[in-house]
Amino acid sequence: MPSWQDFQPFIATGLALGGVYALSGVGLVVLYRATGVLNLAFGAVGAFGALLSWELINNQGWSEWPAYLMCVLFATVVTLLYGVVFGPPLAGRDPLVKATATLGLALILLGAMSWIWSDKARSMVLPTSNENFSVGQVFVNYTQVIGFAFGVLMTVATAAFLHYTRLGTAMRALANDREITATLGVPVRRVEAAAWMGSGLMAGIAGLLLSNLVGLDANTLTFLVISALAAALIARLNSLVVTLLAGIVVGLVNALVTPILSISEYRDMTPFVLAIVALLYLSRHREVSFSRAAG
Amino acid sequence: MGIKFGSDRSRSVVALIALVLGLSMFVAACGSDDDEGGGGGGGGSADATGKEVAAECGLKNGKKATGEPIKLGGIFTKQPGTDFSEIGLTAQAYFKCVNDNGGINGRPIEYVFKTEQTDPGQIASIAKQLVENEKVLGIVGNISIIECTVNHKYWESKGIYTIGAGIAPECWSTPNSAPVNMGPRYSVDGGTQYLIREKVKKLVLVQSNVPGTGYIEGGFLAIAKDAGIPTVSLKENVPIQDANSAALKAVQAAGEGGGVILNFTPPEALKILQAAQQQGLQKRVKWSCSTPCNTDFVAKALGPEWENQLGVNAELNVTSHDGPDTNLYRAVLKKYAPKIPLGSFSQMGFVQGKIASEALLKVKGDFTIKSVNDAFKNVKNFKTDILCEPWYYGDAPLHIPNHTDWTTTPKDGQMVIKEECFDISNVDPDIKRVEDIEAEDPSLVGK
Repeated sequence: MPSWQDFQPFIATGLALGGVYALSGVGLVVLYRATGVLNLAFGAVGAFGALLSWELINNQGWSEWPAYLMCVLFATVVTLLYGVVFGPPLAGRDPLVKATATLGLALILLGAMSWIWSDKARSMVLPTSNENFSVGQVFVNYTQVIGFAFGVLMTVATAAFLHYTRLGTAMRALANDREITATLGVPVRRVEAAAWMGSGLMAGIAGLLLSNLVGLDANTLTFLVISALAAALIARLNSLVVTLLAGIVVGLVNALVTPILSISEYRDMTPFVLAIVALLYLSRHREVSFSRAAG
Repeated sequence: MGIKFGSDRSRSVVALIALVLGLSMFVAACGSDDDEGGGGGGGGSADATGKEVAAECGLKNGKKATGEPIKLGGIFTKQPGTDFSEIGLTAQAYFKCVNDNGGINGRPIEYVFKTEQTDPGQIASIAKQLVENEKVLGIVGNISIIECTVNHKYWESKGIYTIGAGIAPECWSTPNSAPVNMGPRYSVDGGTQYLIREKVKKLVLVQSNVPGTGYIEGGFLAIAKDAGIPTVSLKENVPIQDANSAALKAVQAAGEGGGVILNFTPPEALKILQAAQQQGLQKRVKWSCSTPCNTDFVAKALGPEWENQLGVNAELNVTSHDGPDTNLYRAVLKKYAPKIPLGSFSQMGFVQGKIASEALLKVKGDFTIKSVNDAFKNVKNFKTDILCEPWYYGDAPLHIPNHTDWTTTPKDGQMVIKEECFDISNVDPDIKRVEDIEAEDPSLVGK
């Protein structure tokens, strides 16, 4: 068993990844609450944005910050477009159908990334990774700090937005009942579009951070949505605070298992194990469903 | 209303979880194809470095070959995440160059290649299709994750001696296969030897968690044991989802004064190396990497901190080398395959094409399966500046003609030679067998 000293550096990596998982999880939950769509293309959109950013910097001569902005902009626009085009026709369908439709978008984007960028090695090092400091024996760079901080701040900001703004209130109303909200005069499509846009924004930020924290690889980034999904599932696609905590726990456990060599190679199972344990625990006395109520 | 708990829709939950788990399996499937470990990715563009020479191959007479084509075939893996086509396409580019320069005494080489997707049935049927339908006379440019395993008996039954690049163990352990590369096991051996020369106190091998890692680590364990150095073998699922933790784990396992050897494809190795750099770990241990890291892209991505800190085992020379074959290699790519990047993969294709073409020029009489494969089998003492030692085929139960390597290190955005050619240790039993074969017939290596 490694010593406490051996575990310490993994806390920093776990918190950073956990923060980004939380950020992604919040993006998924907000969209799900407002539209009933579990967006499985969240990772693919961020991955495409990150690769686009790399392309602009390395092959088109763009400077870094405008290229990073393009990553976020791409993710926001693509997610918004998907929501505007496919959201209304799928609005009345089962959540599973809606989720599967986003899987289609994920696979299209994944195919496009493989076609455009192949699987050659490439990397994205954010300028914040070159600045670092030490906490005791632990080396921390600012991308890790930003990863964690963004997770926390975006959760707080999103919760405040949902609670204190008119648009946020409309989103919460949609989460309760789409039909009744519509009959009360709330512009449902505009509110849903705002939710798609917000989710896309978070996908872009998460994609950019993960391209540095994890690696600039289409497959990896696309399917990191699974860790975020686990955080969202633990929160029963409901609570932002629980999503934040679950995301951080997933990241931390994943990292802290790493130095324990006997189980280290199984650590990628962490999100599923935690999600399944949480769901089984929560469903001890009741049936659990994530389906939104009809009418 | 709203998000409901306690409704009768638990099937939706099950379906969602099934979807998540299904996605995870899909990720695993995507990742597991990523461990070819045999060659290396792209480097710079074909005209980026080195001396400019004319693309003159074979007879070098500038006359287009117009006779009856001599058919050669090749099989390579091309699937999402694993595309080895650069090797076969570079062999094809070399054949085009030969055809534009008189061909094989006036006859052009027609190269028929097929791609496969790691399906044993498909791979076996492609081999038969090439020989029985396409009527190819020889097999050149093969590179596939499992092709050697699936087809070696078929080639043996047909008297076909393949000139390829290997991944599966059978590529180096059967009589009818002679690769131009040495593959992941012996490249890891080379990396291990480099770190032992660097006087590390402990050795850690980190590989992809896929079938075949046991075979690869066999040589590493034997060489480390012989040197009296303790070892740790680690596996990482690919694609790596937490490179920072993977790098930390490797460094902690190696301890102060230890050494870490990475055996991954360039993107995955780069993730770990960059994660190490961002956490200030690059100087805590000595780093080594098998051949796939030997690309200029990795050197560019890593920056100056890694000079002499990372030693990459190089089965083939650096692409910027100023030597007749390396210069011709760059010229052939520039003229006949400008989209294929410089790198180990395309170097392998070039060497395979050159070996096959020069062997064909020695065929007397009709071109048949027998005459072509006899010519391939009779290749001895084939000298090229892309390999350390002469390449050969010969009549032997196994072939590892490339068992002498360089060590390279990143410098100014390029891989440069750090250590000149050294022999892979004969502590690894098959290397000892090959050395015995060479000792029995020194003409194989021109002695």
